[in-house]
Amino acid sequence: MKRTFVLTNHKGGVGKSTSATNIALGIVALLRQAGAANPRVLLVDTDSQSHATLVTTGRNDFDEDNSLYSVLMANRQDAAEIMGQVIVPSKWDENLHVLPASPMLEQAERELQGTAGSPYRLADPLAKHAPHYAAVVIDTHPSFSLLTEMALVAATDAIVPIEPRYLETVGLMNVISKINYIRDGWRIPNLRVSGVLVTKMDRRVRGHHKLLDELSAHPILGKLLCGVIPMNEAVSYAHRYHRSIFVQNPKAPASKAYGQVAGRIVKYMGTSGGA
Amino acid sequence: MAKRDDPDKLSELLGSFNGELLSEIPQHFNDDSIKVERLLLDMVRPDPIQPRRILPDRIHHEFHDGRLTPSQALRELVQIAQVAARQRGHPFKNLLELLPDPDRDEEDIKLTPEETLLKELITLAVTIHQDGQVNPITVVDMTHGVTRLYRIETGERRYWAGWLLKDFLQGFESDGMIDCIVVPADRSSVFRQAKENTARRGLSAIAMARQAALLLLTVNGYEIPAYAVTNDFYRQALELRIPRGTAQEIYAAMGGVDKAYFSYIKKLLLLCDEAMELADRHNLDEGVLRSITGLAPEDQIEMVQQIIQFGLSGKQVEKILHQDEQTTNETGTTKFPKHINDFVMGYSKHVDDFESESLWKAFLAIHRDEHLTHAFLMRLGETAFAAARNYKGQK
Repeated sequence: MKRTFVLTNHKGGVGKSTSATNIALGIVALLRQAGAANPRVLLVDTDSQSHATLVTTGRNDFDEDNSLYSVLMANRQDAAEIMGQVIVPSKWDENLHVLPASPMLEQAERELQGTAGSPYRLADPLAKHAPHYAAVVIDTHPSFSLLTEMALVAATDAIVPIEPRYLETVGLMNVISKINYIRDGWRIPNLRVSGVLVTKMDRRVRGHHKLLDELSAHPILGKLLCGVIPMNEAVSYAHRYHRSIFVQNPKAPASKAYGQVAGRIVKYMGTSGGA
Repeated sequence: MAKRDDPDKLSELLGSFNGELLSEIPQHFNDDSIKVERLLLDMVRPDPIQPRRILPDRIHHEFHDGRLTPSQALRELVQIAQVAARQRGHPFKNLLELLPDPDRDEEDIKLTPEETLLKELITLAVTIHQDGQVNPITVVDMTHGVTRLYRIETGERRYWAGWLLKDFLQGFESDGMIDCIVVPADRSSVFRQAKENTARRGLSAIAMARQAALLLLTVNGYEIPAYAVTNDFYRQALELRIPRGTAQEIYAAMGGVDKAYFSYIKKLLLLCDEAMELADRHNLDEGVLRSITGLAPEDQIEMVQQIIQFGLSGKQVEKILHQDEQTTNETGTTKFPKHINDFVMGYSKHVDDFESESLWKAFLAIHRDEHLTHAFLMRLGETAFAAARNYKGQK
């Protein structure tokens, strides 16, 4: 089964889009380095803010005709075909493809509320395209909205990025419970929480160290910890110039950290039969 | 800063962050073996050059020229079959009415090729719906960037049956996917396709001729286009020989035929377009077509129509042609040697330009000897006088 990773947290600004885009590119680059026959990765942007779309494609003018919106609003029979038409190449790598978001997604959410089968509007067509990719990475909106629910229904693995702050770690269990609730409620046995990614870790702040230690020592969360991304100015510059962190500053600590997270994910994909 | 648009450097960088990880990455990431995948029908396209054509010629060309979508192409086929069925007095509205019905006596009903094709496709579609697609089709991965495209190598019938299920057969709807064996583009070849084609029964003689042409064109270095071509493309093979050392491979790909049969098959390309289409649609054997390749186009068409109408055998066709030849010889109206025809045609057309000085100079230019030229002209004159006297005698 192809692995579909969703990066989700109902809190904004924790680095979901940054992590989704750089992890997606990291998987592509690592698979290519390993000589994989198929190193293609699909990045699905379900966030109406379209940040992941903007930095990877250099565009934010996708609308109701050429974005995820068109897929979600299409007839069930046509959705997969339309998905094939709206996927675009990224500017980062020829093997990183993007299913772009648009601000119209908010409208889609309103229109699809209460529609029968709406949580499957992404999962169904995506299942027909996923076999073509080594992995799919989904970026989500900072809320547990219908779009996030669609992303979770379509996913096999949830990765939760969090900042090392007290209130965030308190909310982490809520996020995990919510994911489990969706797994049980929609009967998606393949969905699991596969990782907790600590972002914006400032090594100069004692409180961050303390929380990271507590997290590592936690019997469940400690096992889920899949990486620590240091606070890094290069990330902001990378956003500004629509580049990946690896290209913006390959020597930056955040580059190395994202590279290692991508490495762990690739290893996980191999061992869990997700190639 | 790492250079932009340099994927190799990026991969190296990521590799350096992961130490021994790359060597631990499981082998199945590197597995490039042929796989079975379930693909969207929209991403699959029949091969425009495939010698074995499923759709009637007109629809085939319009579909491959992009003027018809798969659904529209099938709709055209359905309409042709509906007209034919109405003319026979057995109109149908629902496609499922074409399925074999044990309660109906169908022995005497002679279906048109389009009706037969549609009936076969519907039967296949219903079988796929009920029992699943037992054999995946073979496709070549032609994906470029984000555009996913797979070209059918074998299994075009199952592809059309899939479209019937998707858009036409109520109560039998499918998810619009088809099981495919995906062959990497670098492993696809005309020879492979030929072997797959000839290994199956029912390949028409015309399809065999196109197949032979494709192989000959390939081994002679011709570029095989990726769009629909006219029969003239295949006819280029008539002037080609099998290069030394490739004969066995070609004969094997054609299903183990011998040199003589290959030559007969190739000569079918001499048939005109209309005769070729009729012969292909009605799946006529090489044996019945062999003797009509030398006829004029209109005679070819008439003979093919007679073969279809009366179910003539190869011997019967030969006999008819032999009789025709005798009759024409008896009436003495046609069949002169080519050089006489050419001379008479040229003289009749340019009679006013044949003045003595030019004739002398033209003959002299060829023979380069005045005595010889004189002798030739005298002989020409005598022959012409004798011909004229013959007319007087007949009168």
